[in-house]
Amino acid sequence: MSNAQPIIKTTDLGQRLNGRDVLRNINLRIDRGEVFALIGPTGSGKTTLLRLLDLIDSPSQGKVYFDGTDVTESVRQRLETRRRMAFVLQKPVVFNTSVYENIAYGLKWRGMSRDNIRSRLDEVLEMVDLADFRKRNARMLSGGEVQRVAIARAIATEPEVLLLDEPTANLDPVSTAKIEELITNIIQRYHTTIVMATHDMSQGQRLADRVGMLLDGEILQTGDWREVFNTPQSREMANFVGVENIIDGVVQSSENNVVTIGTDDSVIEAVSDCAAGEQVHACIRSEEVTLALSRHSTSARNTFSGEIARIITTGPVARVEIDCGFRLVALVTKRSVEEMALETGKQVYASFKATAVHVIRQD
Amino acid sequence: MTELWDGFTKAIELIVSLDPEVMQIAGRSLAFAATSCVIAALISLPLGSIIHFNNFFGKRLLINVIQTLYSVPTVAVGLFVYVLLSRSGPLGGLGFLFSPPAIIIGQVLLVIPIITGLTITALSGVDRTVTDTAISLGASRFQAATLLTREARFAILAGLIMGFGRVISEVGLSLMVGGNISGFTRTLTTAISLETSKGELELALALGIILIAIALVVNITLNRLQQR
Amino acid sequence: MPSLRAPAYERQTIGREGKPSHLPCLERRTALNLEVRAHPGIYHHLSTSYRRLFLRLKNNHTKTLLTILTVAVLVMGSLGVVAACTPQSRLVMATTTSLYDTGLWGYLEPMFEEEYDVELDVLYAGTGKALEWGQRGDVDVVTVHSKSRELQFIADGYGMDRVPFAYNYFLIVGPEDDPAGIKDLTPEAAFQKLMEDGSASFVSRGDDSGTHSKEKAIWAAAGYDYEDVKNAGTWYIEAGIGMGPTLTMAHEKQAYTLTDMGTYLSFKSELELVPIVDEGAILLNIYSVIAISPESVPSTNIEMANNLIDFLTSEEIQELIGEYGVEEYGMQLFTPCAGTEPE
Repeated sequence: MSNAQPIIKTTDLGQRLNGRDVLRNINLRIDRGEVFALIGPTGSGKTTLLRLLDLIDSPSQGKVYFDGTDVTESVRQRLETRRRMAFVLQKPVVFNTSVYENIAYGLKWRGMSRDNIRSRLDEVLEMVDLADFRKRNARMLSGGEVQRVAIARAIATEPEVLLLDEPTANLDPVSTAKIEELITNIIQRYHTTIVMATHDMSQGQRLADRVGMLLDGEILQTGDWREVFNTPQSREMANFVGVENIIDGVVQSSENNVVTIGTDDSVIEAVSDCAAGEQVHACIRSEEVTLALSRHSTSARNTFSGEIARIITTGPVARVEIDCGFRLVALVTKRSVEEMALETGKQVYASFKATAVHVIRQD
Repeated sequence: MTELWDGFTKAIELIVSLDPEVMQIAGRSLAFAATSCVIAALISLPLGSIIHFNNFFGKRLLINVIQTLYSVPTVAVGLFVYVLLSRSGPLGGLGFLFSPPAIIIGQVLLVIPIITGLTITALSGVDRTVTDTAISLGASRFQAATLLTREARFAILAGLIMGFGRVISEVGLSLMVGGNISGFTRTLTTAISLETSKGELELALALGIILIAIALVVNITLNRLQQR
Repeated sequence: MPSLRAPAYERQTIGREGKPSHLPCLERRTALNLEVRAHPGIYHHLSTSYRRLFLRLKNNHTKTLLTILTVAVLVMGSLGVVAACTPQSRLVMATTTSLYDTGLWGYLEPMFEEEYDVELDVLYAGTGKALEWGQRGDVDVVTVHSKSRELQFIADGYGMDRVPFAYNYFLIVGPEDDPAGIKDLTPEAAFQKLMEDGSASFVSRGDDSGTHSKEKAIWAAAGYDYEDVKNAGTWYIEAGIGMGPTLTMAHEKQAYTLTDMGTYLSFKSELELVPIVDEGAILLNIYSVIAISPESVPSTNIEMANNLIDFLTSEEIQELIGEYGVEEYGMQLFTPCAGTEPE
């Protein structure tokens, strides 16, 4: 197995449906054995892209390569390639027959003998924890069980690539946890290449090696989760990955990759290669902002004094909004809130390091 | 009212006594209808699938035409088959006119639109995702079509029941191309027609009741099959 | 030589409540269902054991195979029934309705079949329809009753010889009180009176049958153009149906109608209609048999058709035709006339 050869590669893939460009310029590389998460809001084109990757639909432009071979055209080749993959649809349906037969279908279609199917299914049913349900009609199952049948149906075929479309959408937290655990098991056991679509950032973080950010039919950024999470490349991406503090400004000076950004009535120091005069967004994740009651207790470059506008506590963390000329949100522990006796209207010092500021050039 | 009551009691009497003549006519009706439906199904199920699974110019129109043919008059089909099978007609050499094959040919033509149309309806009634799921699991077009047909089996069976009901109850066609020959092409409906014209209303009513009873038994059987 | 001992024949002659029995003449071809009656539980037994067998088979392969087999057996079975119904040798005859509804053909058919080892398929229709079938070659022989049309049929080359084999008389029947006062008039005079009177209803077959032809002939003899009669008024009703239903309609409307003797007698008990005019040369009703010419239609079964003509004009059968219905109706339905035209 050559790691250099991506198992899936797309070039300039585009899909036009009902007169609208649903996908544009998708250039994607999926390496063998990696778990890749497509992250994007609803309607960004995730499902359309997965359907193209699974060769269910034909793209209106561009090409799909599987294991180095162009599989965009030939019907025969598309079927053969599709049989090396499996796709769990977003709202999976089960066929009106037993759980066992449901899972056996993919194998039957590949011409596997009954005995082999049986032994294979014993293993799979065990893995998805549906061994007791094998004879039950699949139409009688709950949502989480249906999802498990769907996943079992897919992995039974021992796919080289497993495509999952929102595997936990519409499921309750317990079922969600169970499905995620199942996916983790699959990853550990089979080292299957997985491409999953999700709108849930944290799920991508939990399961994926690499993520691709899909917005409005375009992949805006791919990379390591941390990279995408911390250094979004546009204001929209910053928003989507959950950056709460996005402050617009102009670079006033630049020296040794340290810039000063002038906002309405403050100056923020940041690390960036932007030149003076450039219009930028300064992004600061709320968890990077620390609060203090006196100015001297912090070594951070950026310190602003302000009045607490609002405190929202959820579980062990608190979201503190400070009005310091611009609105700044800090994420602190509930314990800190208690220790510092933080409350609305109280004067505090909010600070963050220059390295914590991610600078995005404005378009 | 007494005629209706007499007809009813006579029907019971004929059924209970297993009257040989009536049993044979009933058996023949059943055999003709069943054969026609089986043959029609063998043609219509693939035909319906082909129409459903392929997109072509005029598909919508074709389906409309098929649905219109649900209500084609039996005598119109009868006339067509008669002209076809008459010794002076193109297929006269077969010698099928006034014999069971003529009735079966006619009945097959009569129900092909119904079974085809209802097969198409049944297949379109299956969730689109089923096809996608099948294809994503590596089904070929044919395998996906087979699965979809299986998923639609209850609705398709309903189409077969409709078709069976149509052929077992039709009279115009059987009379026209079968000739109501005693012991040969006489079915329940043509016997009813004859007995009515002879003024034997009780017997005609009794035969009608037997016909309904047969249809009921067949429907119950098929419905039980459906629930399994 | 036909045998009269077979029970089926007897059942046909013994009517219920003074009418010919219609039920027995429905059927009599095979004895299959007698076996069913002998073992009433056998189907149930078979079906349950088959089902048990089916359920016991866990192997899906075998199950599929069995399903295919079942369907195959069903198809073959029904085709078998159909095939069994298709006899080796068939003679297709179209007869006028009056010979059928009186049960005469139900009575004669098995004798002919036995004597000549052939399946006789009897189709019933009006004379017009029967002749049309003959013309198209859909039947091999016809027994009809409309002399002028028969002669035309033969002249056109469709039929061989016209062989009269029985006759009776048409009747004008009507309500007992005879509202138009036509009793004991000649048929022609009776029709004239009906036309002039224009109040008493008359139901016409209106279906191109032999009886309808006769009615038109009487109108012509009475000096009317039939087109005028048709448009004479609401009293003249064109039914467009068979003799039996026409009689029923005349009964419901308390109208006059022209009927053949045989059908009238078999329906008599259900009708409040009595013979009003039953004498007159023009009322003569001759039934003849005509074989379809093999020259007009090559596939015609001319040999067997000639056998049927021989059969009908044979001495024994002529005698049976003469006796037919006497027991039941207390009078002769048909007068045999083996091959000679009655005057």
